[in-house]
Amino acid sequence: MAFVTYARSSIARLAFLQGILLAAAMVAVLGGVYFGTSRILATEGDQLIAIEAQSLTEDFRDRDLDAFVTAIVDRAEDPWVRGGVYELRGPRGDFLAGNVVVLPELVVQPGGWAEFEVAVTRGDANASRSIRARVVDLNGGFRLLVGHDVQDRRAFRAVMLRSIAWAVVVTLLFGLFAGWWLGRRISRAAHGISASAGRIAAGSLGERLPLTGSGDEIDRLVGRFNELLGRVETLTTTMRAVLDSTAHDLRGHLNRIRGAAQDAKRTVADAAQVAAADTVIAEIDRLSATLQGLLRIALAESGTAPLEDVDLSSVANDLAEFYQPAAEPGQLLATIENGLTVRGHRQLLSQALANLLDNALKYGRGSPITLTLARAGAAARLEVRDRGPGIPAEHRELAQLRFRRLPGSTGLPGSGLGLSLVAAVARLHQARLQLTDAAPGLCVVFELPLIAPRAD
Amino acid sequence: MKILLVEDDRRASEYLAKGLCELGHLVEQAFDGESGLKVAAAGSYDVLVLDRMLPKLDGLEIVKQLRAAGNGVPILILSALDEVDERIQGLRAGGDDYLAKPYHLEELAARLDALVRRQGEAGPAGKLKLADLELDSRARRVMRAGRKIDLTAREFQLLEFLLRHAGQVVTRTMILEGVWDYHFDPKTNVIDVHISRLRQAIDKGFERQLLHTVRGAGYTLTEDP
Repeated sequence: MAFVTYARSSIARLAFLQGILLAAAMVAVLGGVYFGTSRILATEGDQLIAIEAQSLTEDFRDRDLDAFVTAIVDRAEDPWVRGGVYELRGPRGDFLAGNVVVLPELVVQPGGWAEFEVAVTRGDANASRSIRARVVDLNGGFRLLVGHDVQDRRAFRAVMLRSIAWAVVVTLLFGLFAGWWLGRRISRAAHGISASAGRIAAGSLGERLPLTGSGDEIDRLVGRFNELLGRVETLTTTMRAVLDSTAHDLRGHLNRIRGAAQDAKRTVADAAQVAAADTVIAEIDRLSATLQGLLRIALAESGTAPLEDVDLSSVANDLAEFYQPAAEPGQLLATIENGLTVRGHRQLLSQALANLLDNALKYGRGSPITLTLARAGAAARLEVRDRGPGIPAEHRELAQLRFRRLPGSTGLPGSGLGLSLVAAVARLHQARLQLTDAAPGLCVVFELPLIAPRAD
Repeated sequence: MKILLVEDDRRASEYLAKGLCELGHLVEQAFDGESGLKVAAAGSYDVLVLDRMLPKLDGLEIVKQLRAAGNGVPILILSALDEVDERIQGLRAGGDDYLAKPYHLEELAARLDALVRRQGEAGPAGKLKLADLELDSRARRVMRAGRKIDLTAREFQLLEFLLRHAGQVVTRTMILEGVWDYHFDPKTNVIDVHISRLRQAIDKGFERQLLHTVRGAGYTLTEDP
């Protein structure tokens, strides 16, 4: 799994590319050396043969035939020590001297060059040697072959080629390894940043990325990132503090007004005054319920709510059972898969689901309601579906906004905060929230990432 | 009962003290954390009502110091910070209950009553009894006048909760928190429906009704209404 992730990263591709490039460069350089060297060797060898052939041609012209033949016989003696190969034929093709017998069948290329193999017996072993030779036509129909053993040259070239191949393979492996190692270092740093960013986004705002202290580009990037996090944390905590103190202040005032109203209610005798006090108290209660709703949404949206492992199945079961008596017999049907655990805030999740069920009961107008919780891949899929009038497509986004109540809902109790809390709780849990048409009715889908069950 | 009220909001404190006095309680007041702690440690009170945020000494700090000194007086924390996590903090510090502002006087009074009387703790055999109604929490069985009553698991829990507070008024919020651990307003009358189902189960067919509705406050389980 880790390898698959690695192979898909851009760094793996970079490592691969670096290995290939390094190997290609190696092939180019060593290939040049190889071709250069073998050309020099070939040229030098050919020059030596050509010079010898030239001097023998001059000898043939200057000396008489017997002396020339003796000279060839001398040179042809013990040929494998010096590597020289000779053959002299007379005008009728008769063999006069030499240490090989190849001329009659030999295919001579233009320019007088030929290459052939000669079988050599050394001790018990039969070996074949490669020979490169020049054939010269002498005056009077004589033919002379002057050649040299190029077996060692060939062997040298083969060794060189093998060495180059090895060098390329080693370079390729080394390049890939170096790329992989470097890539892993960078990739680890990137993964560290990515993981921390995830945790920070999930609410642990105090977290900072570790600096390696090397002062390199990654460290500088991490430093900048940490500065940014510091600012986000300051902003968030300031906002939270302002919110808390405002809420505290408002609640204090509401509490005092409520106390005064209740006190007044107890002390007045007039029925109209009692009724007025009751109205004030009821309004304060509604106001504080709204305030409470807004604060819950703010808590969910601030991302500072502490998360824990929550058994979503038991949350759903409890709520289904809790709301069951509020529904008509058989109206609320719950299908809940057991053992689905998510990372979340139990109270906020309960409240969000309660809001959905409450809405379904309120707006579903007695129609059947289904609550379904099931595993959907790596997520827990929670669905609340009613058969009521639903929400028209153009209002579905609006419905998640604060204080938005849909046309037709006037007369029903509600603050217009229910679905916005659901949306905020979804964001806190990095869950997907979807409102769709159940034709007729509304279908709300809430998908939360599952925690892999621990083996215990 | 004798109540110490530690609250820096003087007017709110006066209204609360007056309301509690009218309900027949004896109320003393302190207006900051330091004097609150001093008075609480010196006097003997049945229950403490502490504001969460107090000048000089924080409400939670008072709870911690009292508990550290071995003082086990029941404490209700009042707070304008109402979040479930704040609540957990308050209870963890050693508070016994937590109520958010603005509160209903009836709600506060009911909770104080529940804290002080704390009666109905299950006996050694795990049995709770009221008149001819008997709940065996170990065998998970309910009998009334010798007849077995079938309850769902949650109805059993609800009855157990009411029996533990027999003779006291329990509010809907107390039931929601105590039985379901829900800290939000479910907006429907669903608690009333649960209660009426329980009433059907335990009171139907008996002459003497045990589960009563207290108008404007909640419910009570008692043999003499």
